[in-house]
Amino acid sequence: MGNSVALRDRLRARLGSRKTQGVALAVLIIMIILLPLFANNYIEEVATNTLFYIVLALGLNIVVGYAGLVDLGYAAFFAVGAYTTGIFMKFGVNFWLTIPIAVLFSVIAGIIIGGPTLRLRSDYLAIVTLGFGEITRITARNLKITGGASGLVGIQRPSIFGHILNQITDFYYLFFILVVLAVIVAMRLHNSRLGRAWQYIREDEDAAEAMGIDPVLTKLYAYMIGAAFGGIAGAFFAVKMTAISPETFAFTQSAMILLAVILGGMGKIPGAILGAAFLVLFPEIFRGIGQTRMLFFGILLVIIMVFRPQGLWPERKG
Amino acid sequence: MSKKFLSTVAVTLLTLGLVVTGCGTQPSAPTAPSTTPSASGGAIKIGLPLPMTGSEATYGKDMENSIKMAVDEINAKGGVNGKNIVTVTGDDACDPQQATAAANKLVSEGVVAIVGGYCSGATIPTLTIYNEKNLPFVITAANSSKIAAQNPGNTFEINGTAVHQTQKAIELFKKLGAKNVAIVEQGDAYSADLAKQTEDSWKAAGNTVVSHDVTNKGEQDFSSLVTSLKSKNADLVFWTAYYADGALLIKQLRQGGYKGAIVVGDGSSDLKLIEMAGAAGEGTYVLSPPVAEYLPTAKQFADAYKVKYNQSPGAYAPLAYDGMKLMADALQRAGSTDGKTIIKALSDTKDFIGLAGKVNFAADKTLKESNFIVLQIKDGKFVLLP
Amino acid sequence: MLQGLDCNYPRTWMNCSGERVHKMAVFSIVIQQIVNGLILGSFYSLIALGYSMVYGIIKLLNFAHGDIYMVGAFVGYGALGILGSKLGVGWLGIAVALLISMFLVGLLGMLIHRVAYQPLINKRAPRMSLLITAVGVSFTLFNGVMVLTNGEYKTFNTSLGYEGISIGLINITYTQIIMVVATAILMLALYWFINRTLYGKAMRAIALDQDACRLMGINVTKTIGLTFFVGSALAAAAGVMAGVYYGSIQFYMGFVIGLKAFTAAVIGGIGSIPGAMLGGLVLGLLETAGTQLPFIGSAWKDVFSFGILILLLVFKPTGILGKSEIERM
Repeated sequence: MGNSVALRDRLRARLGSRKTQGVALAVLIIMIILLPLFANNYIEEVATNTLFYIVLALGLNIVVGYAGLVDLGYAAFFAVGAYTTGIFMKFGVNFWLTIPIAVLFSVIAGIIIGGPTLRLRSDYLAIVTLGFGEITRITARNLKITGGASGLVGIQRPSIFGHILNQITDFYYLFFILVVLAVIVAMRLHNSRLGRAWQYIREDEDAAEAMGIDPVLTKLYAYMIGAAFGGIAGAFFAVKMTAISPETFAFTQSAMILLAVILGGMGKIPGAILGAAFLVLFPEIFRGIGQTRMLFFGILLVIIMVFRPQGLWPERKG
Repeated sequence: MSKKFLSTVAVTLLTLGLVVTGCGTQPSAPTAPSTTPSASGGAIKIGLPLPMTGSEATYGKDMENSIKMAVDEINAKGGVNGKNIVTVTGDDACDPQQATAAANKLVSEGVVAIVGGYCSGATIPTLTIYNEKNLPFVITAANSSKIAAQNPGNTFEINGTAVHQTQKAIELFKKLGAKNVAIVEQGDAYSADLAKQTEDSWKAAGNTVVSHDVTNKGEQDFSSLVTSLKSKNADLVFWTAYYADGALLIKQLRQGGYKGAIVVGDGSSDLKLIEMAGAAGEGTYVLSPPVAEYLPTAKQFADAYKVKYNQSPGAYAPLAYDGMKLMADALQRAGSTDGKTIIKALSDTKDFIGLAGKVNFAADKTLKESNFIVLQIKDGKFVLLP
Repeated sequence: MLQGLDCNYPRTWMNCSGERVHKMAVFSIVIQQIVNGLILGSFYSLIALGYSMVYGIIKLLNFAHGDIYMVGAFVGYGALGILGSKLGVGWLGIAVALLISMFLVGLLGMLIHRVAYQPLINKRAPRMSLLITAVGVSFTLFNGVMVLTNGEYKTFNTSLGYEGISIGLINITYTQIIMVVATAILMLALYWFINRTLYGKAMRAIALDQDACRLMGINVTKTIGLTFFVGSALAAAAGVMAGVYYGSIQFYMGFVIGLKAFTAAVIGGIGSIPGAMLGGLVLGLLETAGTQLPFIGSAWKDVFSFGILILLLVFKPTGILGKSEIERM
């Protein structure tokens, strides 16, 4: 036992320098940028999907991981963003202009959903958010403006500086940029006053309140920001798929995103990224085994949770 | 700090590993990022987007069987333009997102044509993906009216569309002398579309629709709907969704004392409907795509299918078979694997004789003549109505 | 957004041919719908009970519960298939199949608790992790049955008919009556178990204070396991009854009803057993009513139900019968 500890310490010492970390990160980023050069359409599609889910997972991580709120209806924000973009584009609005509109509507949705319910106990909050998720989906299914059950089809592809974005590679880079932005925002939030307030509330809400933090308002901010993430992701989703239907925003979707966040390790940015990657890549890699792949996924999930309930990402010390 | 580093390494390795494994599991994928379809090594690759998992998997398997049978026959006769056909199946699981992933996968494997498509909701988002590579797409089952509206130019439907089916439905309603028609759908792209088309047409002809209801897929209890329909004196109930829940509705309607006519759309046209509805199913009218049993030309096909796969062909087997044969015919006429040429050849199809009858395409690339038939359940079996 | 058809929602009591509908007819329709709602509700209640019991004792929202219901239906199907030749497919065969399914699926519930949940409880893992494990179990059951049955629908072959009693325009079949009676019997049995036996007392005690119970010498783990047994057995009973009543089962059936029963448990007050019973009936009635109300109709009935749920939770978070607790987090 003494040997292994020493080995770990030596490795840590050698690899722990910031320089090495920076290099590793740079290598990772370069590889991601170069991926389209040696990958085919399918791999790019899967990678783009992964990046997309990473954005969603980072958004939900703020709600669930930072602020400790259980949200079983996150897909609602995603839906609001996607449909807003889809509908406004049908009226001729330029895609890039619909993004702030989509964010606005998503945040409003966040306020509507969060406002009256955030003071509820976490389990009730979970159910309420689930209810709102379903309400959003059914509303989208029933209204004419959202295209009814068939959804919105034929959404135009956006163009940037005259170049039309309709290749998978375009979306790959676009989502990569989104991921980078999302990570930066998430990190800044975590280290901000708001981020510390969230941590405080998670640890001991009563003490936080005694110190002058308004728990309901602070949680609401988490909700709004998470909603904004979802809304942006939704907007880009709409133009990538060119067709959105209510079924995409069913409870299963919310459950998946939550899975990604918790599987990877709640509250940690690399955890959310890892969880999202696992979630997307697992079913794709095992496409070969067909039907049984989701069965294995379920079993694997149970095994991982039983043996590592804190998530796949290693715990931070202290 | 070091933990964070180790973690970064872990993520890098994991991501790379997964991506590389993903690369590795690509069967004969071209190493260059080119996706130009090629008759690689003397074979013509055709992609089959079908629901192989999920609730519609039985239809997907059935269609795949049928298509493969057609391919075997074609190859036995020397293939197309001297080359054999090879098929690649993409599982769309009747879900738009999975369908898009499957479509991209098929494209990346260098297919030159696409035959398949069962769920309209899953098929529609893939049309542009295929069109971008000029891949001709013969849709053998999906028939929402939105497909023709969204057709980017490469898609041909050989299944009667919702428009055709609506015509047939209205004809039947009139024949049965229906006065108060009730329509029940499930809120998905296919059933909602058929329901709306039917409602609009029926009302446009000056008739009454007493009720238009939406039920949830998987919900088994229709008692409140049954009571409601009875109270509105509906004399004909038209179910536009799929067989499983349709069977339950039929049972509960009869159980509740409903005495009027029941008509179901082609999504419910399946032997399982009879089994699941039991005695209550007697007398139900079924709008159906041409089913092998009732096509004089298809007896041979049905027998061959039974021998090969040990079960009767399903409702969409003949159309799937026709779809592949039509594509092969178009490839032959095109004389090349160039997408645009094949698309033109398909447009120019004149009187192609399939199991389901003659195929001619209208300007919007749907069938010129509808091929829907009306069946009725009598003595626990489907019987063709004249 | 009206379901906007001419005579769908008559303003006065007229039917589509423009004739005035007799008041008795309207009255019978209302009664019939109430009957429909109660029967539907009794299914919800049976399943909601399992949710409430498990939540009450370990504060876990057991996502896999709906799939237990589904597995129960399939085990019952299998049992009936084997027994059918010996005991016939009438009420006797069904009853025995029901009991077999309850027993076996109860054991399955206990197994799942031991393997998937208890280890996390022992590690004092965060509640979210427990939730995710439940999702994993749900996936496993759901996909497991899908793979085993190839996604096919299985039909229950029973010799039950449609005979029943008719009071005026109201129809109730004997099958429906037996279903309701069976549900009532099960619920009474549960009530007796919880309130009159030592095991039941232990369960209630653990729900209040787990650590104190441990100190008092109660085997907490075993009792929790027993809770899972009972909850799962009830869900299995509901599953078999659904199979018999509706006629066909498929791997997907747990998903939809799971969500509904969940809602029912919360409406009645999650953690409360009479609450689950009441919540189920309330939800059944709400849904049925929702389909009949103008501007709502069948397309929006779930929105209606969820809307009521949300309003209830916002203004009375503990549900109808839940106990008021001032608890954070």
